[in-house]
Formats: sequence, structure tokens, C-alpha cells
Amino acid sequence: MDVWASLLDGFATAATPVNLLYALIGVLLGTAVGVLPGLGPAMTVALLLPVTYALEPTSAFIMFAGIYYGGMYGGSTTSILLNTPGESSSVVTAIEGNKMAKSGRAAQALATAAIGSFIAGTIGTVLLVVCAPIVVDFAVSLGSPSYLAIMVLALLAVTAVLGSSRLRGFSALGLGLALGLVGLDPVTGQSRLTFDIPLLADGLDVVVVAVAIFAVGEALWVAAHLRRTAAHIIPVGQPWMAKEDWKRSWKPWLRGTAYGFPFGALPAGGAEIPTFLSYVTEKRLSKHPEEFGHGAIEGVAGPEAANNASAAGTLVPMLSLGLPTNATAAVMLAAFTQYGIQPGPLLFDREPELVWALIASLFIGNALLLLINLPLAPAWARLLQIPRPYLYAGILFFATLGAYSVNLQAFDLAVLLILGLLGFGMRRYGLPVLPLIIGLILGPRAEEQLRKSLQLSSGDVSGLWSEPVAIIVYIIIAVILAWPLLQRMLPRQEKP
Amino acid sequence: MALLLGAVGAMILWDASQLDAPYSQSDPVGPKTVPYVVAALVLACAAWMVVDVLRGGHGDAESGEDVDLTHPTEWRVVVPLIAAFVANIFLIDLLGWVISGTILFWGSVWALGSRHYVRDFVISLVLSLLTFYGFYAGLGIFLPAGVLEGVL
Amino acid sequence: MSVLVGYVPTPEGEAALAHAIGEARFRTMRLVVVNSSRGDAYVDPRYALADEVEALTRRLDAEGVSHLLVQSIRGRDAAEEILDAAAQHRADLIVIGVRRRSPVGKLILGSTAQRILLEARCPVLAVKAPG
Repeated sequence: MDVWASLLDGFATAATPVNLLYALIGVLLGTAVGVLPGLGPAMTVALLLPVTYALEPTSAFIMFAGIYYGGMYGGSTTSILLNTPGESSSVVTAIEGNKMAKSGRAAQALATAAIGSFIAGTIGTVLLVVCAPIVVDFAVSLGSPSYLAIMVLALLAVTAVLGSSRLRGFSALGLGLALGLVGLDPVTGQSRLTFDIPLLADGLDVVVVAVAIFAVGEALWVAAHLRRTAAHIIPVGQPWMAKEDWKRSWKPWLRGTAYGFPFGALPAGGAEIPTFLSYVTEKRLSKHPEEFGHGAIEGVAGPEAANNASAAGTLVPMLSLGLPTNATAAVMLAAFTQYGIQPGPLLFDREPELVWALIASLFIGNALLLLINLPLAPAWARLLQIPRPYLYAGILFFATLGAYSVNLQAFDLAVLLILGLLGFGMRRYGLPVLPLIIGLILGPRAEEQLRKSLQLSSGDVSGLWSEPVAIIVYIIIAVILAWPLLQRMLPRQEKP
Repeated sequence: MALLLGAVGAMILWDASQLDAPYSQSDPVGPKTVPYVVAALVLACAAWMVVDVLRGGHGDAESGEDVDLTHPTEWRVVVPLIAAFVANIFLIDLLGWVISGTILFWGSVWALGSRHYVRDFVISLVLSLLTFYGFYAGLGIFLPAGVLEGVL
Repeated sequence: MSVLVGYVPTPEGEAALAHAIGEARFRTMRLVVVNSSRGDAYVDPRYALADEVEALTRRLDAEGVSHLLVQSIRGRDAAEEILDAAAQHRADLIVIGVRRRSPVGKLILGSTAQRILLEARCPVLAVKAPG
């Protein structure tokens, strides 16, 4: 498979006026949503899932990808100008960025963030182009048992490694799996967990669940703890950088990318860790360490590159294996299912035009984002003057609209509400939301692989570890599960 | 905490009771297995959580980018929001999207603290109308017109 | 026994403040400066932050007026906050800055000034920005 030829084909598709328009809409939405604290790309993609019914898959995914990348760009604007991160991945940017802004260097901070994001995004996408086919080639050779093992690993990694409490992670996972069970059993056609409500026989629409958990739950939660703030945006002109700033920024950009991409690709990696690592590294390597804490440009350049690179990294397992490593990827996978497209290694084979057009549009989107963010950053900041009531009411409004438009049934809205309350409760009691969504999406697929494996081995349970890859993965799983026990057995180290 | 345990526990009971109905056939694993596994998982989590809570553990309420956790849950905001939502559920087919959507948005904004009644009403109405026509024109989806059937 | 002014960093607000300082000096009363925000939006340029507060304090000190600054973010309208503070500090005069509004503007955006004028228990001085 000639990768570069496919990519060129992808550019041809991505560059059509319609798709360019969707890319533009996506990046505009993504930036807006990234700028506003409390809203995020995952929620936005979830809110737009219903729209997938009317759009071509290629266009829809181009838009979603635009939103995803855009979110990473927008978050930094708020971090720098307001000291509040617009996205959780921009928390670190605020440390140095806001200090820079306060000392009158907002333009440079914004510039280094935007340009670094662009470079990281572009390099990251190139790495995606290179890595994804390799992973796909490997994955296609896997049989059901190995694939199942990898899925279980992904489920566990997200659940057990993330978050403060594995207990709560597992609880969330359990809830997600349970929700995934609702409906007809695909193999035998018997109904499970439908409580004799015929409307549930189709199962819970992933769209409704995603919108409920991400949008409604979040909106209700924020409403319950409505923050009242009255900050000022630090006024800034056009972002730009002096030569000295460029010199100091380019290495952090590259280092940040190096941190971000692998972490994005790992389950439970996320974007926060690499940004933090990047910051610490820059501080240690800097020739001006005393500036850190007072506005060191490396402290903005590195982390911003890291978070954009991790966004690209997330797409590697998502596109090549069908495994989501963060919430936005999970919601995008839900969109695949909506279209009846099976995510997984065969995606590249079955839908090459879609995938390569998507990847090509990432490059286009990055460029658009740089153009949008560099001159317009101060304008985006004005979005922050919209009062919260309108924002959160808007979320509920569009969530309702979207969920209703899926089937034109008021029943779906009731489901939306109930699951929204579940999302609320989960946030209240510290249950992480990500395992639930991943459980919901991967659960049925994992079950399918499980049953296929056992059918292949005619019911022999050892069929589950009949492949070498499966064995290795299960060993890794065992280690992860046993890790806390091992930790307790090791002698406690004295803390200085 | 107890609330959540109750919820989780209830889930398992639901799960378990529901699964007695289907029977497995030729496929060795059958439709029952995974539900049992999941039920077991959820049960285990519920039990573990009881232990954890008794030992003094608790879930940290999630802090987001825009959440102020220093005060307890403001039910005065959440309850009207839910009420507006429920109202919409009942009214959407009856009165049509334009009206019920307006009520939903207006109610939500009010619940969240906005007191510019006239301005909010206008915004709500415009939003509902725009989305009504927009969904029809752009996506080919007919939202219910309800009472205003002939008008729109 | 005080003069109360609703202050925002705008031309109207500055004009109101200037008049309020004059009134406070004339009546030898304390000047209560109210600057609040609903806190609904993330950003509110009408709310005075640390450096603006400092400048304000210095100016009032220079004018030799005894003053008190009341700032709050409670999700309540400026009119409510001002009327509240007036009751609390027993204001003898409320000074506010007003802006021209078109009829439609008055309808859609409501009127803080109108509410204060109608509901205040003491005289209200409405000041326009010069020019």
C-alpha cells in the first residue's frame, strides 16, 4: 500500500469546496469551544453526533477532526489572556503564558503557542501517516483472541491507570458495559435489559448516551456549581515574536512534540501528562531558569506543542485499531458506529478514501487554525464575555435538539435526562466518565470477539490464549492489575 | 455515597433478574455470560465501594475548567433546569418544537440566573425558530410543529 | 449618612464618580463606591480589578474624601446591589451614570437607571458623560 499516493488522493478529496467548508466550520467551532472554559471538543462532537445522520461521513469526520485540533488551539488563548485554562490540556500553559501576558508579552505568548501548535500538529500528523499503516499491518494479522486481549487491555488501562481511584474507574466501566448490553444480543437475538420496553429493543443509541453523559451531565454539573467570575482580558494586539523568541522557542516545540505524540497514542496517556513533562523539561534545560514562574517563553512553547502532538497521537490507535484513548476519540468512534463503519484495523482497507481524506484535512485544518488563531486571538477572547447562562442553556438546548432528531421520539429525551442525571451523579461522586464511554463502545465489540474466539476453538477456553500476542497482552494485563499489590510488598522508601 | 451504592446495587439486581429469561443455545458462551460477568463486576464494585466508604474513602467531586467547588450543590439552579427539561419532553410533541424549545431555553437561562426576561424570550424564540427551519432546510429533518402546524 | 455612587470604569461611571466626590465633600459625608458584577460571563470589563481599585483608592485619598469600596460578585444585577448597599449604608444620595438608549435598546436591555430611580428611598442624581 503506497502511503504517499493514498495521502495525495486524500488531499484531493479534502480540498473540495464542500469539505474545505466543513473543515473551516470544524476549526472555528473547535477554537470557540476551546476558548470557553467548561466546553470542550468531546462535548461538541457529542452534540454534533446527531448531525451525522444528514452528512456524508467524510465531511462529518473532517469537521470533527477540525473541532478536535481546534480545541487544543483555543484553550491556550484563554490560558494566556485570562489565567484560566480553556481546556484541561492548557493548564500548564497558563503558568508561564499568563505571566508573560501580565508583563506585556501577551503577543509573544500567543504567537509561540499558535506556531508551536501548528508545528506540533503538522509533525504529529506526519507521524500519524507513517505509524498508522504499520500498526494496521500488524493488527490485521491478529486473530480474534489477540484482538480481544488488546481490547481488554485498553479497557483496563483507561480504567485502572487513570483517575484517583481504581474502584471508581471500574465502577464506571461496569456501568458502561451494562449500558452497552441493553438491547438485542447480536448472536442470538434475545433481548437483554430491555425491561419489556419496546423502544429499548434497539439498544441505547450511542449518540443519546454520549450526548447525555458529556453534554447534559456536564451542563447540569456546572450549573450546580456555577462559578461567578469577573476577570479582565489582558488586551493584546497582533501576536508576533521577535527573533530572540523564535530562537528560544523552536527546540521546546520539537521536544514538546516528542513528548506529546507517544502519550497521546497510549491508552490513559492523555494530554495533561506530556504538557507537564514538557514544562519540567524546559525548566531544567533552560538557559534562563530564573525566568520560569515569571514568564519564560519556553514554558509556553513546549507544553503547547505537546498538547497538539498528543491530539495527533490519539488518532493513531483510534484509526488503526479502533481504540479510543481519550474522550474525544471515543465520541468520534461512536460516530463511526453511527455510520455503520466498523472501526478497527480493516478501516484503512475498507474505507481508504475516508481515512486518507480525514488525515489530509488534518494538515489543512492545522494551517487554517494557524491563520485563524494568529491574527484573531484577541477577537476569540471576546467570546469570553458571553454570560454563562446562555452557554449552558445552549448546551441543554442543542443536546435536546440533537437527541430528539435522532429518532424523533420524546422517549429518547427521557433517556437523555436519566443518563444526564447519571452523568451528573458520576461527576458528583468522582466516577470518571471516560471508562463508561469506552465500556459502552468497546463492550459489545469485545463480547463479539470473545464469542468468536470461543466458537473458533469450539468452546475450549484455552482458545483465548492460543496466539502469542494474546499471551503477551494478558501478561501485561496481569501486571497492571497486580501492580498495587506489588507496590505494597516493596519496602517503603523514606521520603527526604 | 450511599446514593451511588444504592444506584450501583440496584443495577446489579436489575441485571441479574433480567438474565434468567434468555436461554443459551448452540453457541457455547451464549447471551448470558457477558451479562453475568458484567453483573459480577458491578456487584464487586458496589461491595468494594461500601467497604471503601466505611473506611472513610470518598469520591472527589470532579473539578472542571469552570466549576466552583467551594459551595455545595446549588439545587436551586439544577432543579429548575431539570424541570425545564422535563417540560420540554412532555410538550415537544404536543405544542411543537418552536414553543417547547423556547420554553426550554428560556427556562434554562432563567434557572441559570439570567434575569433579562424580554431579551431572553426573544433569544429563545429566535433560536427555536432558526433551528426549526435550519433542520428542515439543511438536514431535511422535520421537527414537530405541534400546535402551530398550519402557521409554519 | 453617606453618598453612594455606582461606579464602572466607563465615561458615565467616571462622570458619576466626579459628581459623587463633589457631593460627598459638600455634605461632609462618607462616599460609598459600589462596583459589582453579576459574574455571569467569564470576563467582565465593568468590574474593577486590583490595579483599578488601587488607582481609585489613591484618587479618593487625594481628594480627601472618606470612602468605602463595596465590591461583590453574587449573581445580582447592578441595580439590586446599589439599592442594597444604599439601604445598608443609609445613603442620603445615590449618584449614577446614565447613557442614552434608543427605545428598542431600553426594551431589550432593561434599565438599571430606571429601577434605581423608581425604587430608591433617597434622592438620585443621574449624571451623563460630558460631551
